Formats: sequence, structure tokens, C-alpha cells
Amino acid sequence: MSTMTLDARHSSTAVGEQAASVHWPSMTDELRAERAEQTEAASHDDEAVSRESALAERRAMFQEQALPFMDQLYGAAMRMTKNPADASDLVQETFVKAFAAFGQFEQGTNLKAWLYRILTNTFINVYRKKQRDPYQGSIDELEEWQLGGAQSATSSSSRSAEAEAIDRMPSGVVKDALQTIPEDFRLAVYLADVEGFSYQEIADIMKTPVGTVMSRLHRGRRLLRDSLADYARERGMVASTAPRRTR
Amino acid sequence: MTDCGCDKAKAELEEFLHNELSEQQCDDIREHMAHCDDCSAEHLVGLTLTERIREACQEKAPEELRAMIEVAIARSTTNA
Repeated sequence: MSTMTLDARHSSTAVGEQAASVHWPSMTDELRAERAEQTEAASHDDEAVSRESALAERRAMFQEQALPFMDQLYGAAMRMTKNPADASDLVQETFVKAFAAFGQFEQGTNLKAWLYRILTNTFINVYRKKQRDPYQGSIDELEEWQLGGAQSATSSSSRSAEAEAIDRMPSGVVKDALQTIPEDFRLAVYLADVEGFSYQEIADIMKTPVGTVMSRLHRGRRLLRDSLADYARERGMVASTAPRRTR
Repeated sequence: MTDCGCDKAKAELEEFLHNELSEQQCDDIREHMAHCDDCSAEHLVGLTLTERIREACQEKAPEELRAMIEVAIARSTTNA
């Protein structure tokens, strides 16, 4: 607007014309710069807004897809840390890390396995160091006989009695038995039997070869079985001569 | 379908239990167990153990954990 008046005022004289012609470009440059500045600021705002909304969208997606695994991850964290306070911290840390890395998660692949991988990593890097379990490291090298539970030649009837005793075992006893077996075994058993992961998925989560997963599972289950059998024997839960009860 | 025999069945029962065998291998083990009380009793022990472990390990996270997680995530993004 002001340039128009300026133009009109100076157009009557040659000097004015000259002045105007000199002035014009500088005025438009100024205007252009001003306008550019405004556009830039606006695009900054746009960027911030779009960044903000992308983040909100990502957060909503994460809450919808990942948070439903909270109870399951907490169950695993309980088996790892053995106490509710550490389990809660571990799960929280897992979700924060998972959210930060959520952009790298390939939609359509196994989110649960991905979350478990982060959980396990976090546990190993943060909590296991704190606990300093002297058992670790050498556990895979332990021989079968050192772990006890030589597979005795039991009859099928005593096996049935064993199955029945395990079936009647209180949950607390099963949990306690699980807590007493070495951590790597416990984790493999948990991932296979509770979460239903495949051997390959467990290998990916625990970063070990499939063969190691199989041996940890086998040994872990063997130890559990023996521990439950001991409990049943102590409590007189297995009396192979007693008549079978049906429930 | 062929009966795979006790040794092979016993060696593979755990993989059978965890769904790690091929269809053919599963059929062989089932075929064997149909005639072998010992192996089917052994399988029952394994199956029962898995079921009890699964039941015993069902946990419910504390009520406040979800809210704590959401706050922690929000905080982590504003700090970034």
C-alpha cells in the first residue's frame, strides 16, 4: 500500500521517477524478505505442529498395540526380578525404550517377540548385573548328572501318578519351584511354556543358538519336574499304591 | 505313518509338546503313543507340567503401572 503512494508521489518528476526506480527494487526486496520470513515462521509452526501430531499419532498407536502386553511382560519381569517393585521398573523401562525405538519396529512383524527382546535385553543389561548371580555363565556347561534328576526307569503307572501330582500342585509351589531353577533355564521355560514362543523366537530373544534353547528348556523342565516330585513326595502327595482319585 | 519307537519318541516328546515338529514327525509320535502306555504317560507328565506352569505364571500388573508408563513415555518425548 505505502509503495503505491510513494510511487504516485514521485512519478511526476524525473528525479522522482529515478528515485522511485531506485526505491522500488529495495522496497520489494524488503517486502520479499519480510514475506519470506513470515512464510518461514509459518512453515516452522507447521513443522512443529505436524511433528507434534506425528508424535501424538505414534503414541496413540503404541498405546493401542504395545500396552496390551503389559500384564504378560509384567509376568515375565516377575520371573526375572523376583519382586514386584523391580518388575514394575523393568516393565516401565522396557516400554519407554520400546516407544523410543517404535519407529524402527516393522509393522506386521511380531510385536510381542520384539517387546520381549527389549525386556530381556534390559533385564540382562541392568538388573542381572545388580543381582550378580554366581550361577551365571557356567550353567550351560553343567553336566546332566550335576543337575540331578537322572531319568530313572519309572513305570508308566508311576508316571501317571506323577502327572496327577503335578496337576494338583498349588500354583504357589509351581512358582516357587520355577524361582529356584537357574535364570537362563527359567526364562527359556517361561518363554516356551507360558508365552508359547517358538524355539527360534526364544533363540532371538535370548540371543543364543536354537540348540542352547533346547538344552535350557530340557534341563529347566527336568529340574522343575524333580523339584515338584520332591515336594509331592515330602507331602505324601504321590502314593502310587493309593487308589486313583478322579476329580 | 510309522511307529517311531520309544527311543525316538522320548527324544522328541518335548519338541512335540512345543509344536516344533513337522506334521509327519507328529503323526509318527502320535502313532507310537497310541500303542505305548509308557510314552503316552510321559507325554501326559510333560503336558501337565506345561499347563501348571502356564496357570501359575498368570500375573496382573499393578493398577498404577499403566499410568506410570504413560507418564514415563510422555516425559521421554518432551526431553528428547
